[in-house]
Amino acid sequence: MVNDAKVDIRKLNVWFGDNHVLKDISFKIRENAVTAIMGPSGCGKTTLIRAINRMNELIYGCRTSGEVYINGHNIYDGNVNVYELRRKIGMVFQKPNPFPKSIYENVAFGPRIHKMANGRELDEIVERSLREVALWDEVKDRLHDSAFNLSGGQQQRLCIARALAVRPEIILMDEPCSALDPVATAKIEALIRRLSKRYTVIIVTHNLQQATRVSDFVAFLYEGRLIEYGDTKSVFEHPRSELTRNYIAGKFG
Amino acid sequence: MHLRSQPIEFVLFLCASLSVVALILMLLFVVMEGSLAFTRLGTQLILGLRWETNSDLYGGFPLIYGSLMVVSGAFLIAVPLGVCTSIFIAEVLPFQLRDSIKSVLELLASIPSVIYGFIGVTFLTPLVASIFGLQSGATALTASLILAIMALPTIVGVSGETISAVPSEYKEAAFALGASRWQTIRNVVLPLSKSGMLASVMLGFGRAIGETVAVLMVAGNVAMVPTPPWNYLAPVYPVTAVIAMQMGEAAVGSLEYSALFGLGLILFIITFIVNTIADAIVRRRPVGRDVQI
Amino acid sequence: MSKQTEKVIFAILGVPMLICMLIFLWILSLLLTGIGTVRWELFTMSALRGGMLEMIVGTIYLLLGAAAVASPIGVLAAIYLVEYAPSGRLTRIIDQAINNLAGVPSIVIGLFGYTFFCRHLGLGVSLAAGWLTLALMILPIVIRGSEEALRMVPASFKEASLALGATKWKAISSITLPAAAPGVVTSVILGMARVAGETAAILFTSCVLITRGLPKTPFEPVMTLSYNLFVQIVALGAPAQRVFGIALVLFMIVTSLSLSAILLRIHYRRRQTWLRMKG
Repeated sequence: MVNDAKVDIRKLNVWFGDNHVLKDISFKIRENAVTAIMGPSGCGKTTLIRAINRMNELIYGCRTSGEVYINGHNIYDGNVNVYELRRKIGMVFQKPNPFPKSIYENVAFGPRIHKMANGRELDEIVERSLREVALWDEVKDRLHDSAFNLSGGQQQRLCIARALAVRPEIILMDEPCSALDPVATAKIEALIRRLSKRYTVIIVTHNLQQATRVSDFVAFLYEGRLIEYGDTKSVFEHPRSELTRNYIAGKFG
Repeated sequence: MHLRSQPIEFVLFLCASLSVVALILMLLFVVMEGSLAFTRLGTQLILGLRWETNSDLYGGFPLIYGSLMVVSGAFLIAVPLGVCTSIFIAEVLPFQLRDSIKSVLELLASIPSVIYGFIGVTFLTPLVASIFGLQSGATALTASLILAIMALPTIVGVSGETISAVPSEYKEAAFALGASRWQTIRNVVLPLSKSGMLASVMLGFGRAIGETVAVLMVAGNVAMVPTPPWNYLAPVYPVTAVIAMQMGEAAVGSLEYSALFGLGLILFIITFIVNTIADAIVRRRPVGRDVQI
Repeated sequence: MSKQTEKVIFAILGVPMLICMLIFLWILSLLLTGIGTVRWELFTMSALRGGMLEMIVGTIYLLLGAAAVASPIGVLAAIYLVEYAPSGRLTRIIDQAINNLAGVPSIVIGLFGYTFFCRHLGLGVSLAAGWLTLALMILPIVIRGSEEALRMVPASFKEASLALGATKWKAISSITLPAAAPGVVTSVILGMARVAGETAAILFTSCVLITRGLPKTPFEPVMTLSYNLFVQIVALGAPAQRVFGIALVLFMIVTSLSLSAILLRIHYRRRQTWLRMKG
């Protein structure tokens, strides 16, 4: 059996205080593909992806049980360097959050703190990352301008470039287009498809059409449980669960 | 002048403008009472090197130097100590403790200066005297120490607020990139807190320069620039202390009386400028979208 | 950066925190050791027999009077700033003036108080002059605190009563102000805490070392704890044991005022249910 699971989630449970947010989640995420996580508000989608880069631990009162294997190693193991883990996993947030710094400094932030390069090499990394998100031509003459001079869509692409600069293997995206207009959204969706050739992309989305356009696999969550998981075409055209069928038909959500 | 259409609004307006009126009156009267000194002494009040009441000499330089010396010493101690403590509180301690710590800081900040002075005289001066082998422990160092202790709760409190005011979205972005807590503090939180901290240091400076009673009780009160000028183990006579000590004996209308008011005016102007700059800093550069760091 | 390095950095950062805590614990212990030397009957004995009665009462008279003068003006000023002031240069000037007034060194306020209240208004060294001088220090505190309290009251309360036909002032005075009352009271108490231990401002405006009995009119000078403590140490060189009692009483008064303000604020924050309802 060819095991090309990049992320292998086994019996993952997450509590915030007394609130049991994720219940016994188990599934495998394929390498170099786009996996969409969908479900109604509050079902735990964001908590799930944050469990992959261990960002949940930053919230007080969070408890996690279960295992998440990446490249064969359980990331919840005691001796895992969580900073190195987060370097290998990029995250893009719902609302673009560039640092109040210049465009260049935003992209250079990651490589700098991980001491990956400086000087000439750093310039090359910044250019490569900005090219990957198709932003280079738009900003190459104003790299030292404030990041806030960019439009919303450009800022989000900048945030993606920032994440790419540290050479991740996995990219997590939490409803990356929800704050953007349709044109910007289309550009980012095209970018996501391109990125999936080299990275494993996991995207949380509210938008069913976006899931069908962009993803190869889809996981449907409801009230903290995994209801259904499979390749996008199958899940949308022949959902196995009644719940999934209703969600797709727009009966709730 | 705007006339308010309704009497109620007018009354309210009067109450609000009382602060402006009070400030103007203050300026007026202090200048008035100090005018004799200004005309008779001119710049000697600030630059003159000898302040000897008996010889009718009123050169304020040693006094101003004393004030600056004590305040700078205090800040050199209190600012690093206070900022590090506030970082520790904001980022390392569990956040439930934060409210209780804030209350403790408020309580400490409310202790009157005469009590700090009492502690300084009773416990700090003998300590300084014995550590450094001096005859009297009343020195610029002692005054700086007591002033630093007085300033600490305020510095810790305001720095803490500035740090918490940094939007969490920037910290999240940094963590997601694999930055450690310290890296996030150093590269994101601190640069964004810079202007808030600067403003608070300036305000603290203004308050410290105006501190009277505590420094008076421990500074030694000798109107001379220490030799060498950085000798913190010598006594100094800050401006505020001089005014407090000598007003009681100065005959109304005499040159001495007027010179003391002149010193008061200098204090007033310094704190006015410092406060206005601090206000401008806070107003002009709020933490957030428009500020590049 | 490894977790180890980070732990070391935070340990180093913890040192200043430790130093601060030690300093304040030391101060606390110093004050507490003095409790043993105090003879508690001194509270009710006249100063003429070595007691503290006049000082304690004098301090209280001074605080209450100054608060009584500053509070109404301060609250009305705050109402103006929050509800009526147009945004423009005049309002900005007033706003800055309040900040600047708060920043004036207390000795300068004392100088002004002496020349204006004591001499020009002819009040002499008296309780009344002290009230007015200290009121200048309480004023910015009450204004800022009341402003904050008023701003926290949801505008919808006022709008509801306006929609019923009330005048603006009626809406504010009968709805907004009572809702803001706890915050206003807290700021008044904080103002009192600020001036209870104030020495420099009352040094030559209202205090003397000893009076015969309590002042019968506001035009007489008064004895206060802070002034006495100050003069006894600085001018009379009194040893610690003799003045420890005064220092402790003053400390207790100021701390209880501050503590009440803090507790009041916490208590009322819990009761302000409208803060908890997200709309």
